[in-house]
Amino acid sequence: MKDRRLPRLLGACVVVAIVPMVQTRSERQPTADRTVWDSVFSAPQAARGETAYVKSCSRCHQASLAGADQSPPLAGGAFLGNWNGLPLSDLQERIRTTMPPDSAVGIFDRQLVTDVMAYMLKVNGFPAGASDLPKEPERLKEIIVQAAKP
Amino acid sequence: MSSAFRSISTSSLLTISLVAASGIAAAQKPAGTPAKDQPVFTTSKGEWPSYTGDTRGTRYSPLDQIGPSNFSTLEVAWRFKTDSLGPRPEFKLEGTPLMVGGVLYTTGGTNRAVVAVDAVTGAQRWVHREDEGPRGAAAPRVLSGRGLAYWTDGREERILYVTPGYRLIALDAKTGAPIPTFGTNGVVDLKTDIDQTILPDLITGEIGYQGAPVVGRDVVIIGAAFREGTAPKSYKNNKGYVRGFDVRTGKRLWTFHTIPQKGEPGYDTWLDGSAEYTGNTGVWTQITIDEELGLAYLPVESPTGDYYGGHRPGNNLYGESLVCLDLRTGAKKWHYQIVHHPIWDFDLAAAPILADITVDGRAIKAVAAPTKQGILYVFDRITGKPVWPFEEKPVEKGDVPGEWYSPTQPIPTKPAAYAKNGTSLDDLIDFTPDLKAQAVAIASRYKLGPIFTPPVVSKAEGPIATLSRGPTNGGTNWPGGAFDPETHTVYVAASNAAPAVLGLVQPAKERSDMNWIGGMAGGGRGGGLTVQGLSIFKPPYGTISAINLDRGEIAWQVPHGETPDAVRNHEALKGMTIPRTGQPGFVVGTLVTKTLVIAGDPQVTAPEGRARGAMLRAYDKATGAEVGAVLLPAPVSGSPMTYAVNGQQYIVVAVSGGPYSGEYIALRLPSGAK
Repeated sequence: MKDRRLPRLLGACVVVAIVPMVQTRSERQPTADRTVWDSVFSAPQAARGETAYVKSCSRCHQASLAGADQSPPLAGGAFLGNWNGLPLSDLQERIRTTMPPDSAVGIFDRQLVTDVMAYMLKVNGFPAGASDLPKEPERLKEIIVQAAKP
Repeated sequence: MSSAFRSISTSSLLTISLVAASGIAAAQKPAGTPAKDQPVFTTSKGEWPSYTGDTRGTRYSPLDQIGPSNFSTLEVAWRFKTDSLGPRPEFKLEGTPLMVGGVLYTTGGTNRAVVAVDAVTGAQRWVHREDEGPRGAAAPRVLSGRGLAYWTDGREERILYVTPGYRLIALDAKTGAPIPTFGTNGVVDLKTDIDQTILPDLITGEIGYQGAPVVGRDVVIIGAAFREGTAPKSYKNNKGYVRGFDVRTGKRLWTFHTIPQKGEPGYDTWLDGSAEYTGNTGVWTQITIDEELGLAYLPVESPTGDYYGGHRPGNNLYGESLVCLDLRTGAKKWHYQIVHHPIWDFDLAAAPILADITVDGRAIKAVAAPTKQGILYVFDRITGKPVWPFEEKPVEKGDVPGEWYSPTQPIPTKPAAYAKNGTSLDDLIDFTPDLKAQAVAIASRYKLGPIFTPPVVSKAEGPIATLSRGPTNGGTNWPGGAFDPETHTVYVAASNAAPAVLGLVQPAKERSDMNWIGGMAGGGRGGGLTVQGLSIFKPPYGTISAINLDRGEIAWQVPHGETPDAVRNHEALKGMTIPRTGQPGFVVGTLVTKTLVIAGDPQVTAPEGRARGAMLRAYDKATGAEVGAVLLPAPVSGSPMTYAVNGQQYIVVAVSGGPYSGEYIALRLPSGAK
């Protein structure tokens, strides 16, 4: 874990320095304690994510997101257990830097990963809202995976 | 070596110690006959020379320095991070290392490198990796794999493994250098000499293997694996034949046709000539060997199309069968098909376990197969007859257009199922009436039923799918079980709470030429069947069972895994006393020692009073009582192993998952304590 702290600290500095300038009026909400239960993605974004998921992810992780012998589940208790309490930026980084496993293809675009995450949140039973899940890691850092409904 | 591949071995040894050949006649002995002066490395001497400790699938070690009184005092002896072994960090490290002669051999890195480290310090001795270019990138089974095989004749020591691109490599265990006399410069191309032409070509042709090779009587056996199979691109595919190779030369000794060829027994179980084009039906998990009897046991997977078999009418031998072969010739001794006409993805996923037991006063050499359906199938391993009778039970016939259904399936009379393997309304979460009502509302859109309830055509108005447990991710998967030769008991973990949604949809032509593939019509939540973040199923979500094989009975069963944070912190459950629920997740391998059963939690938790992490737990073998636990930074993602060097016992586990990248962690008692 030690090697991850420095980038996260740096990330926190970036948030302080840049985020106020790029936030719109409507987004200027208190972000502390936001969780995946706070309608953090939109239904159209989840639909875009589903299209991308079916094309690029479902062959291994299954249409149901239940995973299989080699591919971990992306929904349900086994998935939520390991991500509970962590920021969505961690999940984005994990997907972005490791998927697809065929490294010759290269890594996925950050927007595509974020859209797929919106679809994953939908399948996991979290509510949709009016705004898209942002793709910027410093903003995703403010949204926590919380398995249990508050 | 072919110029298409680059092989790189780096050694930190300045000199290569050559073992004097004088006085050692092993090299001249007849193949397959153990020499008297050949060193024998076994778990009884504190080594761990094979993936499951021995080649018998037991994961048993008689070591007892780490026991019930001191397990919780275990400390980290060393850690080995695998990030830099490949181009990317890996978050799914599944390896179980080997330990021979004070050296630990294991796999790591996203391109499956092999590394040798000092078993006491963790210091790297050598690393070998292959750059397979497009062939490796196109592999159906990528990442670091599950492990290696070790072989010695007393003169040479070799490490064998299969690359993602499906090449068998033999390395000098002392240096990591390829063995020039094995295959072609240390390499056997497994996509050739396989009694079929791998299509479409050797680069992209789908076939691989991420398991550990197994060696017995100088024969190394290699299985075959494919992409996940619920939604294949085609009903045609390459076939997962299993082969034996001479461990000295790499020469192919035999090939077993897991889908019989024309003229071979079993061909007629594929109606309409479907044996000609159907593929898969490989062995992607661990193969077990009885060196004394000279027999190998193959746990065979599903044929092409995990949930739809309409393109392959018939029982489909040897799909989802346990097959016993002569180790030296590959000739079939016996087989038993555990699931007829497979349409539930009930691959035989775990290493068969060899167990010498006594039933009603009669000594039996048995083989026991843990399964995804949570049933332990136990056979006389010489004759192939069930130790306790199996009954062919009538099962529901489905109505998916074009599907062919077996009217019956075999169910053992003993032992009883050790995991949940069907779904009824009684299985749904009932912590509170409100939660139960929500669960029933979700489940009402699915078809429920006992084991072998068939998949359905998915309809948005319902049923969206058959909701089951067992298929794909339930019961016991590749981490397998363990067997204690002293108590004649199998210790095996099982997942009860991984929903399997068996729905079928018609694919677009460009997606697949199958009539039906796994999928859901709009509105399905598939694997995300949670209720307010809680599992839709009742606990226990995961268990460890002790199954006594003299009696064919479950001696004890305990929930395994800390209660998930979602349960412990849920608003609706405040004030309730909920016993430990265990955790869902099939990556739970058991290790059994003289005094303990050891297994890691498959999930991270953060209860009050300790840091976030996953526990490695120890249980009393006789009662299942937890006698100790230590905190790890992430779930144990491979089966644990143990060994002793210089009088000190170690336990090594692979940990990874979530945002934590792969790491091997060695544990031992605090300095000075032995």
